[in-house]
Amino acid sequence: MLRTNHDHLVTMAVAGTVSQPTLRQPGYIPDKEGRGVILPGMSGIVYNVRTGDPAFGWAGDHVEPGVSIAAANEGADFALHYLSCIGNEAVVTSGLAAGARGIVTGEHARMLIDFESEVYDGLSVGDTIQILAEGRGLKLLDYPQIEIKKMSPRLFEAMRIEAVDERTIRVPVAMELPVRIMGSGAELNSEYVDQDLMSGDRCLMRQLRIDQLRLGDLVVIRHADHRWGRSFRNGAVSIALCIHGDSVMTGHGPGIMTLMSSAEPCIEWVIDPGANIGRYFGLAKETA
Amino acid sequence: MTSNPGSIPFNRERLVTVSVMGHIVHPSFPGLPAEPYRLAADGTPFLLPTYGGIVYNVSVGDSAYGWLADCVHPGVSIAFPGENGNRGLNIFACVGNEAVVMSGEGKGLKGIVTGKSGRFSEHVIVHFPKADRLKFAVNDKIVIRSRGVGMELDGQPAVKFKSLSPELFDALEAVVVDDRLEVPVVASVPAHLVGAGAGLTSEGGSVHLQTTDRAEIASLGLDRLRLGDLVALEDYDSRYQHGYLRKATGIAVIGQTDGPRAGYGPGMTLLMTDPSGYIKPVIDPSANLVELLGLKP
Repeated sequence: MLRTNHDHLVTMAVAGTVSQPTLRQPGYIPDKEGRGVILPGMSGIVYNVRTGDPAFGWAGDHVEPGVSIAAANEGADFALHYLSCIGNEAVVTSGLAAGARGIVTGEHARMLIDFESEVYDGLSVGDTIQILAEGRGLKLLDYPQIEIKKMSPRLFEAMRIEAVDERTIRVPVAMELPVRIMGSGAELNSEYVDQDLMSGDRCLMRQLRIDQLRLGDLVVIRHADHRWGRSFRNGAVSIALCIHGDSVMTGHGPGIMTLMSSAEPCIEWVIDPGANIGRYFGLAKETA
Repeated sequence: MTSNPGSIPFNRERLVTVSVMGHIVHPSFPGLPAEPYRLAADGTPFLLPTYGGIVYNVSVGDSAYGWLADCVHPGVSIAFPGENGNRGLNIFACVGNEAVVMSGEGKGLKGIVTGKSGRFSEHVIVHFPKADRLKFAVNDKIVIRSRGVGMELDGQPAVKFKSLSPELFDALEAVVVDDRLEVPVVASVPAHLVGAGAGLTSEGGSVHLQTTDRAEIASLGLDRLRLGDLVALEDYDSRYQHGYLRKATGIAVIGQTDGPRAGYGPGMTLLMTDPSGYIKPVIDPSANLVELLGLKP
């Protein structure tokens, strides 16, 4: 039994509205060979790509599964980003789907929420969704060297984390990613959004079977220190979550959001294809 | 087959020289009530000089390490007041282009573009001799006669040049040996040490060597880099943004100093890139802008 400070966490409401996709004139983004393409994916309600689905193969770019919400005011939006945790409960508070309950499944430029399929028909761009934010400050009482980020107690309990010894824990993950392919997002702090794995070397994606990655998969990155920013450090280990789909752009690819990090090798892992939050929360299509 | 140094044919006569202008920028901090600290990779707060302004005592040729600063720019940093205009400045200015002071006490003095900075600052970095810097005021206007965007090697369309002036390309004395373009560099940066800037534009801005793991940096000799050193990026494709691709090679120049933040370290301005191994970096400890462009101290 891993001891946490769960009983001392503060739960508070943060809210955003369902976002409308936006494009810049003339809409093109450059693909890996420099060709201009226009693709859907970010913002809005994505009806047919959901947590548990493949991260690769969509005719889209940075596809945000489920519903993407944002707050109009910058300060409020930062609070939405910094206080919401993966696995928090979300409630629709306006519109036809008012009262429906979903789950926070990721953080990209917007917060990502997934709902049961029947909720989607009643959702409109502009509807308000409120999150019962809980998880900021969560600590492993016996492993202070392991930093936890944006993890709700609910996710923490679902992840099947085990104690190995007094310094080390073990986490089931769907796959390991090599640190040399961690790309866009290195310039940001690690409390904010994600870092893309760089999928431009398609042969490498196939060789390492990274192209089998699913939205909602838990992953491990060795030699990645994500405690304050994201950087290379020999021996460090970070556990992260795949939150958005692949990209055609160089230096981009599926988004990887930090959940745990240790500067020393205090996190072990076991490969388990079932290590996906869609499965943990009953969201994935195959378990629905 | 070896070509003569400096004789690589490219579309020199077709390049267009166009003015881009920037003002000397003032250093800035986020507004109150935000606290002024940034966080180092170990979580400790720090408060140090950073990008922007006239930097009197750090110059191209000095060590990129050891300064009490966060990615500080040597010499003078300029930006255009207005996002689109600043994009024009940041993209069209090329390393080696001449910059002329157009207002203030330093009117008529000439400098040389030595680098660029990326997301969150977007400055062009210009070298002037130290004595000249004493004559400048923040907001002085500097015009760059930009030339280099559009450069292509004859018969090698896959090789892309970015932020590279024909003058610097000539000075590099690159040679073609056994159908590969040999370019002198001081050191080579492996892909796992490329940090901030990955996935961002390669037409301007910077991509950073990440120096959180000091032992790793020292083991590769990267702790001896100087501002203005030419370096190679291994397995990085920077034709359209910067990203990992085996066999791709970039050539860049160290534009700004190291800093304590995770994911950051000396900034690099990309000059050349090729996806399939045509560029062959050759180690030459003297490959620095001071010698290549004849920068005056």
